[in-house]
Amino acid sequence: MVTTGVALMFYYRPHPPAAYQDMKDLQFVVFLGSFLRNMHRWAAHGTVICVFLHMCRVFYTGSYKRPRQFNWVIGVVLLLLTLGLSFTGYLLPWDQLAFWAITVGANIGSYAPLIGGRVRELLLGGHTVGESALLRFYVLHVAVLPTIVALLTMVHFWRIRKDGGLSRPVWQLKKGDAAKLVRIGESQEAAAAIAAPASLDKTYGLMEVVTGKPIFETVTEEEEEDTVFSYPYAFFREGIALVVTVITVMAVSLFWNAPLEEMANPAKTPNPAKAPWYFLGLQELVSHSALLGGVVAPALIVLALIAVPYLDPNPSRRPSDRRWAIWVFTVFVIANVVLILIGTFFRGPGWALVSPWAHIAGVE
Amino acid sequence: MDRRLAQFFFALSLISLALILAAVWQAGNPSWKQYQRNYLRLEAQAEPNAAAKNAVLTTALDIRQDLLPGLQRVDRCTTCHLGVEDPTMKNAAQPYTYHPNLAPHVPARFGCTVCHGGQGLATDKENAHGNVPFWQEPLLPRGYIRASCGRCHKEGDVPGVPELTEGRRLFDTRGCRGCHKLNGAGGSIGPDLTAEGASRRSPAWLERHFLDPNAVSPNSAMPNLHFTKEQARALTFYMLSLTSEQMATYYSSVRLIPSPAYGRQLFVEKNCIACHSIGGVGAKNGPDLLAVNHKHSGEWLDEQLLNPQAVYPGSSMPGYDLEPNARKALIAFLGAATAEDAQQVLAKRGKPLAPEEAALEAGKQSFARFGCVGCHGLNLQGGVPNPNSQGGEVPSLLHASDDYTKEEVIKIISNGKQPPVADVRKPTPPLYMPAWKKILSEEDINRIADYLWSLQPKKEAW
Repeated sequence: MVTTGVALMFYYRPHPPAAYQDMKDLQFVVFLGSFLRNMHRWAAHGTVICVFLHMCRVFYTGSYKRPRQFNWVIGVVLLLLTLGLSFTGYLLPWDQLAFWAITVGANIGSYAPLIGGRVRELLLGGHTVGESALLRFYVLHVAVLPTIVALLTMVHFWRIRKDGGLSRPVWQLKKGDAAKLVRIGESQEAAAAIAAPASLDKTYGLMEVVTGKPIFETVTEEEEEDTVFSYPYAFFREGIALVVTVITVMAVSLFWNAPLEEMANPAKTPNPAKAPWYFLGLQELVSHSALLGGVVAPALIVLALIAVPYLDPNPSRRPSDRRWAIWVFTVFVIANVVLILIGTFFRGPGWALVSPWAHIAGVE
Repeated sequence: MDRRLAQFFFALSLISLALILAAVWQAGNPSWKQYQRNYLRLEAQAEPNAAAKNAVLTTALDIRQDLLPGLQRVDRCTTCHLGVEDPTMKNAAQPYTYHPNLAPHVPARFGCTVCHGGQGLATDKENAHGNVPFWQEPLLPRGYIRASCGRCHKEGDVPGVPELTEGRRLFDTRGCRGCHKLNGAGGSIGPDLTAEGASRRSPAWLERHFLDPNAVSPNSAMPNLHFTKEQARALTFYMLSLTSEQMATYYSSVRLIPSPAYGRQLFVEKNCIACHSIGGVGAKNGPDLLAVNHKHSGEWLDEQLLNPQAVYPGSSMPGYDLEPNARKALIAFLGAATAEDAQQVLAKRGKPLAPEEAALEAGKQSFARFGCVGCHGLNLQGGVPNPNSQGGEVPSLLHASDDYTKEEVIKIISNGKQPPVADVRKPTPPLYMPAWKKILSEEDINRIADYLWSLQPKKEAW
């Protein structure tokens, strides 16, 4: 994202109508211009999807539980920032798609009581999406948000080590190790009996003094035969993940162009005007009730996500012990996906229900 | 270390390298380069010797563009249409054909798309010709390119494009504004037409629409106004010329072409013949105007029209508030005017109107110009179908005084009115009386009411 983004910045002027002309220049005259833009666009959609999938993975493996509660919170913040990055980037091409998606998105935000209107005004630099909104979104997109995301990502990764390494699914641990798991609340003797003897040929440094007892339910004492060096093992595996990602994005970008509609025209509202796809679930809710769907539901969802590790009283990570949590989360995921699908494919002019074929047939 | 892992990593790296090369190849071989190579070959054929041929063939390929900040356009058409300004390419095939009769509209000043349509920024045929999604101005078909003259020449007579003049006249006299807004003035029953020429409507669609609105947009509220084919074509020309573009002064200053034909029209409108004569024909209060351009310079005449007192203190000629191009048009007409012209002008001149008649005439003009005639008809006969209203059509106004007082009529014009519905279960009637108070001045509304009353049958005294 950063590499393609910086390359695109060289050709972009954040004010209308130059912004739109620059898109056309990227498409028609800049060497590799449309390829870079395609990559940036598709990778942005991919990031939103991957971050969401990552969240699902972490939830289903119960990895948000002690001691990783705080890292989960950072993760939720990073998810919101990812949406923010995608949302601010959405406006930059300054075409009809961008203009109206941001107009709808900003309107959803303004349903919040008391502060909603102010927040929207602050974000847009006016009452409607215009020149100042474009500049603000640009600054947020290329400077403010990436900086925060980079810093938080560092913390996110650092916490992985600090919280005891990668959280592997508990059911994949070796049989013997799983048996040795310490259960919180068990007697001191039981915990002491399996306390790890420090490895003799490793050097430990004292990083931090933490008060309290280190009771990590999921972390078995690492024995030497279970550990490997990060190079080449982790290095090549992560390298492969990186290259596969890049290959996928490049392959998609070679064959599918990023969308670019006609230049933004505040006087011509497309029907229906749709928010970016990841907010379509929200827009669907708003279409039923502005206050409930646009304010209460998203606020509760975000608060609930942040609070999950603190609300979930069950310390176990075994799926069999946490049926209820898994059910609730699965319903949340399915509801999300279904609402987005409805908003994307089943909503036509006037936000009326249509069959998805109407979109494909291209009804005027 | 797992060897297979490293091999897998290596293989993936090769794939990503291949994809990068594919992207570079895709970006490095745009279609315009092939067009330029072919053009260079064509040019090389004309060269006398091998060295010259080689020099032509090795010319660097590059994108050419006309930067047109005044039109807010960048046209790259000449990247492929390389022979546009080269007369030797008169018989070359497209895209290299020479464009005859370009002056004064040279590409460096005007580009191509402002007349032809299409997407100037694009550099491949499909996108450049603009028949792609999300481009509002695809290339105009050959017969309709002249409609674009009206984008700059918005007033008066455009030489060579009588369709435009006729289209504008029809728009002003057949009541289009009753339902359609144009540049802020007009009703709101139909769509705003201010930028109709930039809305991707094909000329064929427009023409069919004017001949029979329901044939192309079913359930359209627009009545069939029974235009002839020529009238439909003229209106299509006018519609295509409406783009609401912002243009720099260089372009907008020729809204009006100073043509002798327009000068003649002004000569009639301003009633010059009331004081002047041409070749002895006309009134003798002022000097005779035959060959007046030989007696005085253009600047002198211009000043005389604008401010006669400055030229001849005490002159009885009034100053005319005409824009520069209108004065030029008038002078152009006078340069070639003969006694015969004066005869024709005199023959067409009606009797001067009495003040009351003039007021009624103004009301009639407003009735036509602001679109009342579109539904109510020029003779107030009504009869335009309006499904599901009582009676099924727009009412005649010939007997309005039976049901309403003049004050009530003025109120209806000002505030609008929904037609009485015949069947509440069916959709509401598409046509309704818009509120005109924001669009028309009170004076206009009163004049229209006066005009309506002038046509009411006189009530017999008891």
